[in-house]
Amino acid sequence: MDIDAILLSLKLALWTLVLILPFGIWMAHSLLKMGKSRPWIEAVLALPLVLPPTVLGYYLLVGLSGKDLFGIPLVFSFTGILIASLIVNLPFAIQPIQRAFESIDPEIREAAQVSGLNNWQIFHLIELPLAWRGITSAAVLTFAHTLGEFGVILMVGGAIPGETKTVSIAIYDKVQSFDTAGAGSLSIFLLGISLVAIALSYGVFGRNRRYPRLRGK
Amino acid sequence: MLKIRASQTHPSPLQIHLECGPGELHALVGPSGSGKTTVLRTIAGLSHPHSGRIECNDVVWFEADGVSSPKTILPPAARSCGFLFQQYALFPHLSALENVCIPLQNSGLSVSERRNIAKEWLSRMGISELGERMPDQLSGGQQQRVALARALTRQPQVLLLDEPFSAIDAPTRQSLYKTLADLRKDLHIPILMVTHDLHEADLLADSITVIDQGVGLQTAAPQVLFQKPRNARVAELVGIHNIFEGIFDAGKLRWNNSQQIFDVIDKGKIPPNTPVAWVIPADGLSLLEKPNHSNITAKVLQVSTLGQIAVIQLQLHDGLHTITWQASASEVKRLSLKVNSTAYVEIDSAKIHIMPLRPINDPRRFRD
Repeated sequence: MDIDAILLSLKLALWTLVLILPFGIWMAHSLLKMGKSRPWIEAVLALPLVLPPTVLGYYLLVGLSGKDLFGIPLVFSFTGILIASLIVNLPFAIQPIQRAFESIDPEIREAAQVSGLNNWQIFHLIELPLAWRGITSAAVLTFAHTLGEFGVILMVGGAIPGETKTVSIAIYDKVQSFDTAGAGSLSIFLLGISLVAIALSYGVFGRNRRYPRLRGK
Repeated sequence: MLKIRASQTHPSPLQIHLECGPGELHALVGPSGSGKTTVLRTIAGLSHPHSGRIECNDVVWFEADGVSSPKTILPPAARSCGFLFQQYALFPHLSALENVCIPLQNSGLSVSERRNIAKEWLSRMGISELGERMPDQLSGGQQQRVALARALTRQPQVLLLDEPFSAIDAPTRQSLYKTLADLRKDLHIPILMVTHDLHEADLLADSITVIDQGVGLQTAAPQVLFQKPRNARVAELVGIHNIFEGIFDAGKLRWNNSQQIFDVIDKGKIPPNTPVAWVIPADGLSLLEKPNHSNITAKVLQVSTLGQIAVIQLQLHDGLHTITWQASASEVKRLSLKVNSTAYVEIDSAKIHIMPLRPINDPRRFRD
């Protein structure tokens, strides 16, 4: 089994998650209050869902090529695929959280207002816990989707072992070199981890316990 | 003292002017969609009128002349309002106790002090044992008590109740009437209550404002409102069945299309030969066993008995007017009223109340 590829994929998925979730929550919340510009911003954010990965990868490759971040090149590097992964995951991170915020009854917000809470308190004491299900599904979707992302990563990162060669790219490589047994074990790993992630989001976070408990409030 | 003056034409019309003193329970009554809730939302700062002024205990909460931008708009959090929402709007992720704690978030008190105050309010509402329950584990009446406790923890200067009794069953309602009556004595703050139930308003309120299409038509004590509605629309809205039209001329009211003439005292304000609307309240109407010199003969059209109450539709002998008469079932039996039987109606002309046909601010109100 290609341990390097597995570790790299997990590292990429975790970094993506850590960076994209706060942004996703902020963006989803900001979209609630937007006026006429909202459909356009939503369209841009949903674009990675409908664009072929090669097209998105092509633009990222052209856009990032020759550029660097604090001396780290942005193509054919881990930073490069992290940026690509963040962009690809925008719709997966934002949409579930946005739906969750939208489903909060406006009267609940008004009740918080007349109870004397300021905007920040309304956000973190009321809205965030009520949007919990949406946030966990955004996290699970983003994590599982990053593990499986193939086209964009290949375009921007190539297949440098230990740097940009993630599990899904390793699977492709192994099939190309007729190592079906190796491809099979990595595939089983991806399948297993995706299943566990989704089951966790349904079981542990959701269904029976709809909201996290806030203590001392 | 809460003083409200608000007007706007968009998005929904609003024309209201009312005052509510400490310890006073003021009911806003009107058909659904008449803008009752908008008035409460305006006071709480959840929506803003085009122009007007809202003032509570000499602090201005809102002021706008409708021309330049508003001079004062306090956000809801800065207005000292307890708001009871129609659907309660409890925070579903917090226990009953935590819900009641929320308004104390910025009180500067410690968590344990806040919890103690919240517990106190829950026990005042008679639900101290339910503090740990989540809202979806509470009945409608219990949820409402939690919501009421939440509305009061911040010790508001005004209490706003939006249809507080509409979604609960009758026995629960009775006990909540009592809770409200007790609170009113203890709190000594203005209480505004929106309701579409006139009986409830009559039972609980010191004064009632009748609202129709956003316009406050009349503000009066319940007994005045039911006896002397300002115009035909108010009479209709407060559920007076027997509204008729007639011509008024120097103390004589001639019932339209009928020979009937009543002696009615007025203050001399109505010009001669004026078409008017008039009502006769239930206690001005009686049915006689035998005819006398002044009664009107009528035919029973319909008898509807609902438990102890009976509603009788009577058609007068001229065939043009119908009178509705409410009585106890035993009274109906005593008079042996049946469909098509003859009844003798007596109208006490001293109880007749004459009104303009149109609202008071309409220049055509005495002409047809």
